[in-house]
Amino acid sequence: MSKHRVTATVNGDAVEFLCETGETLLEALRDELQLTGTKEGCGTGDCGACSVMLDGRLVCSCLVLGVEAQGKTIETVEGMAKGDELHPLQRKFLEHAALQCGICTPGMLISARALLERNPDPTEEEVRYWLAGNLCRCTGYHKIVEAVLDAAREMRGA
Amino acid sequence: MILFDFDYERADTLEQAVALLARLQGDARALAGGTDLLPGMRMENIRPGLLVSLSGIEPEAPQVLADGSIRIDALTRLATLENSELVRRVVPMLAQSAHVVGGNQIRQMGTLGGNLCQEVRCLHLDQKHDYQFVAPCYKRGGTCCYPFPRNAPEVCWSVYMSDIAPALIALNAQVEILGETGTRRIDVEALFTGNGLKPLALSQAELLRAVLIPAAAPGFTWGFHKSTVRGGLEFGMAVLAVALQLAEDGRTCTDARIVVGAVREGPVRPVAAERSLIGKTLDEERMEQAAADTSRVVNPLPHHGFSKRHLMDNIRVHLRRTLARALQRARDQEAGR
Repeated sequence: MSKHRVTATVNGDAVEFLCETGETLLEALRDELQLTGTKEGCGTGDCGACSVMLDGRLVCSCLVLGVEAQGKTIETVEGMAKGDELHPLQRKFLEHAALQCGICTPGMLISARALLERNPDPTEEEVRYWLAGNLCRCTGYHKIVEAVLDAAREMRGA
Repeated sequence: MILFDFDYERADTLEQAVALLARLQGDARALAGGTDLLPGMRMENIRPGLLVSLSGIEPEAPQVLADGSIRIDALTRLATLENSELVRRVVPMLAQSAHVVGGNQIRQMGTLGGNLCQEVRCLHLDQKHDYQFVAPCYKRGGTCCYPFPRNAPEVCWSVYMSDIAPALIALNAQVEILGETGTRRIDVEALFTGNGLKPLALSQAELLRAVLIPAAAPGFTWGFHKSTVRGGLEFGMAVLAVALQLAEDGRTCTDARIVVGAVREGPVRPVAAERSLIGKTLDEERMEQAAADTSRVVNPLPHHGFSKRHLMDNIRVHLRRTLARALQRARDQEAGR
């Protein structure tokens, strides 16, 4: 299998990596760039644990080939906190205990941030519909939805 | 990780993609959103020698043509379709059918053309065969069918599960297909062969370029329903799309198109049931009868754990409700005017 040289922007940094044709973006992020915050759940696009932003679109990184990232801008959960200061969503997830095992959390955070960027004042239904592509098998979603709504309130300054 | 060897090329234009696909006739695939193709490759149901990526080609925005029809680029993302103000206004059924596909991530990745060209599904096929099955099934070039062991050789009873295709067929849409010799245009309905082994009437070097939907005439109304267990993030048990043309009295049907998806190797149109509505006043009894007739003639395949009986009941009940909702929609529009 031939290797491809890929240059992309990840969380604002220009990066360059080699990846095999059959390697997914998820594997490239985790194994080539050591950005292991993004998790692999199902590997078939059902669970959303591997959600990242690719050129402003919310995608499952397990369904994107690594070579497809050429020239693109990628945002992962590692880019959410500013230094030691957590993103409001991350803080609210902690305050509301909106996680147990934590495998779905990076995907949930990326997905929720994408929602709040589009719609700073979502209803509970909108949050639930938007997060439908992110499965969680521990918390039961209620606390996650509360955390997102609370973070939205704080980010609006309400 | 996809474990077999394949090459990767990126096309800058659709014409270039077609040329690349033609070079490796029979062993190359176009990669658009990848949400159906890549899991299929991972499962090794699909083993192309070359992937031609279309990710470098920007789709044109949906546009209304001079004759009032709407033209939508096949590379348009499903999320764009569901959120486009133009699509929601001119062809709300298409926006609705895109809205019910998969989850948010899938809709932001998947494209209109990719949704139409998705592989057929089967509970047995969509598993890693290496450790699940002793011999490959017909679809994988083998000599048996696991869900229907008494199937004749080379008959694959799998299910085509696109949510958008039934809506487009109900809307009498056409697809523009780009091939080596140029562009051809066929009805969306003609895209499906009804053969599970080769569900699409496309050659390997042909790509969908656009979908064209004719303008709706006054008195047009529609109904769409995707029947699911959980209500989201899953394939349908049955997908129902109904397009009705009503006379000025708002009750007499002058034309009807009913399409049932996710029950056979391609979307099915119960033509006799459609005819039974034309020229008639749409009352409860008539709609009930059409729904019952449809559930019989579409002959659903038991799929994904649902029995034939269950699917027939499901189609009967939901089609009656979908027809009633279409009628109600026409009344609401009349009242709102």
